[in-house]
Amino acid sequence: MGGERLKIVLSLTPPLLIIITLFFGGIFYGFLQSLGYQPAIGKYELNFSAYYNVMFSERYAKLFWSGLALNLWVSFASTFLAAVFALFGALAIRKTFVGKTLCNFIYSLNLPMPHLVVAVGMIFVFSQSGLLARLAAQIGMISSPGDFPVLVRDKYGFGIILAYIWKEAAFFFIILMSVLQSLGENFEELAQSLGANRWQRFRYVILPLVMPNLFSASIIVFAFSFGAYEVPALLGVIYPQMLPVMAFEFFLNPDLNARSEGMALSIIIALIVMILVVFYFWLTQAKIRKD
Amino acid sequence: MSDLKIENLVKNFQGMDRPAVNNVNLDINSGQLVAFLGPSGCGKTTILKMITGLFQPDNGNITLDNESLLPIPTEKRGVVMVFQNYLLFPYMNVNENVGFALKMKGVNKSIIDERVKEMLDLVKLPDIGLRKPKQLSGGQQQRVALARALIASPRLLLLDEPLSNLDAHLRDEMRELILTIQQKLNVTTIFVTHDQEEAVLLADKIALIFDGELQNFTSPKNYYEKPKNIKAAKFFGGVNFINADIVDNKIQSEIGFCEYQGDNIRDLNKKLFLTIRPENIKISKNNEFDHNSYQGKITSVIFSGTHTRYKINVNNVHLECSLQSVGIDNMKEDDQIFVHLPKDKIWGMND
Repeated sequence: MGGERLKIVLSLTPPLLIIITLFFGGIFYGFLQSLGYQPAIGKYELNFSAYYNVMFSERYAKLFWSGLALNLWVSFASTFLAAVFALFGALAIRKTFVGKTLCNFIYSLNLPMPHLVVAVGMIFVFSQSGLLARLAAQIGMISSPGDFPVLVRDKYGFGIILAYIWKEAAFFFIILMSVLQSLGENFEELAQSLGANRWQRFRYVILPLVMPNLFSASIIVFAFSFGAYEVPALLGVIYPQMLPVMAFEFFLNPDLNARSEGMALSIIIALIVMILVVFYFWLTQAKIRKD
Repeated sequence: MSDLKIENLVKNFQGMDRPAVNNVNLDINSGQLVAFLGPSGCGKTTILKMITGLFQPDNGNITLDNESLLPIPTEKRGVVMVFQNYLLFPYMNVNENVGFALKMKGVNKSIIDERVKEMLDLVKLPDIGLRKPKQLSGGQQQRVALARALIASPRLLLLDEPLSNLDAHLRDEMRELILTIQQKLNVTTIFVTHDQEEAVLLADKIALIFDGELQNFTSPKNYYEKPKNIKAAKFFGGVNFINADIVDNKIQSEIGFCEYQGDNIRDLNKKLFLTIRPENIKISKNNEFDHNSYQGKITSVIFSGTHTRYKINVNNVHLECSLQSVGIDNMKEDDQIFVHLPKDKIWGMND
């Protein structure tokens, strides 16, 4: 028994060491920098002034809170809408029909696509100089491409939301398809024979059955979109700015004093995501205990 | 209480070289408990799903109380199906599962609660309303599934292999419960099974189905005593088949002349098969029988507790006879004996 345990510990040690060194080491050093520890410029004193500056100072508070609001809005909206599109897509495609494989392929196509490529694709398609704007002008729907609504680089983050929906719907779709395929249609058929109409079958049967998987996937997508940099950097505006972009700009600032604010912002983002993950684990554990 | 009529029902599936259901006709009277019996893949469940509306037939009609069910959507047919693997909603407790059909109808919650209690009492599970399906045994899950179906007051109740997932002890208990409830509520019920014993013990009538085709629809007793063909006889444990011809209105079989009392003599072809249940054959060392007595030799004796099974060679035809072990003459392998096939127990079939 002891030998078995030792074998497990030994085989787990190398990956654990890498995770602890790279992840927690990085977080710890970042946290130190957020507290003002920067030996390169002779700062050794630890305090929370970078956090205070970011959240409450006259210079950054407005930027921070508007950025946080935009972050939450973009992450919630894109996660929710991507989940909804994927759910309806999966429900439509799960039945056998001619062309199912092609539909499946098209729906899943975005999954291996890098976020950067998707963001550039959004600019090509949805910007005021993009494909849709030109097409709309060509067929006379609008007088010139400049009249096309601002969907990319807009202050409400529509472009970012669209990019995330485009990208993450494929992730939701793959998960939902596997859940729906494994469930089969027996539950729905049973509900139908018990008198449930189409809406009731969706509301009382499909949704509760897929919800645990949909919820897990949502947490992952939300956490990712909350902390991701490249899409908001390409498709966002200068104000309001999403927090990861703001943090990176602090980090790139030639004034090394700003690095503490950048790190404080990164720690805040990490903290929010971690709270979400802990909340998710608490919910799933509570559900397991309840069952 | 509803009369069900199935007429010329046909269903094809892509990739199958024969119809899954081929021209099935059935008349099921109100309040009857009917079994669809046949091997796996013979089309039993397909017929059930066409009755519920989950499959549309390619041809034919299904009427309930003289009204065609085909244009009516599943959820409005009043035909409730209990699936083989119970399918209790895992995220609902027992009360919520049982009350599902009434909730879908928008019934008031206090009435639902009352009816759920009634149904759980009916299936003898009064105190488990707050449990989740995971916390129930297979037998309990089956009862809850039954209660959930019955709460809808179905015009027709369909049970897909209701006992197949239960162990022997629970099967007996559940069988009793289904019979009691069916008789109490007098709901027309069809159940699907591949187990002939289950069909015989439960059903008023059995529809025997092979390869999508209805072989026979009659009482369980008739399947034993008056099978329609060799397939049906074999499915119900028939082992004795004798080639015969009708010559001058008399039956001449390969073991000799045979007196026959069956009421189907006029329906029989010139070439036919005779069959008799092993338990209806009598044997003796002396010829003490006044008709259908043939000389034979015992080729094997198999003792199985209460009964002993004898294999007998009569004129190169192998017959099996099953006798109660207690009180019989001591007959052993290679003994020459007389075999008696009582004329009221022997039955003729065309194929």
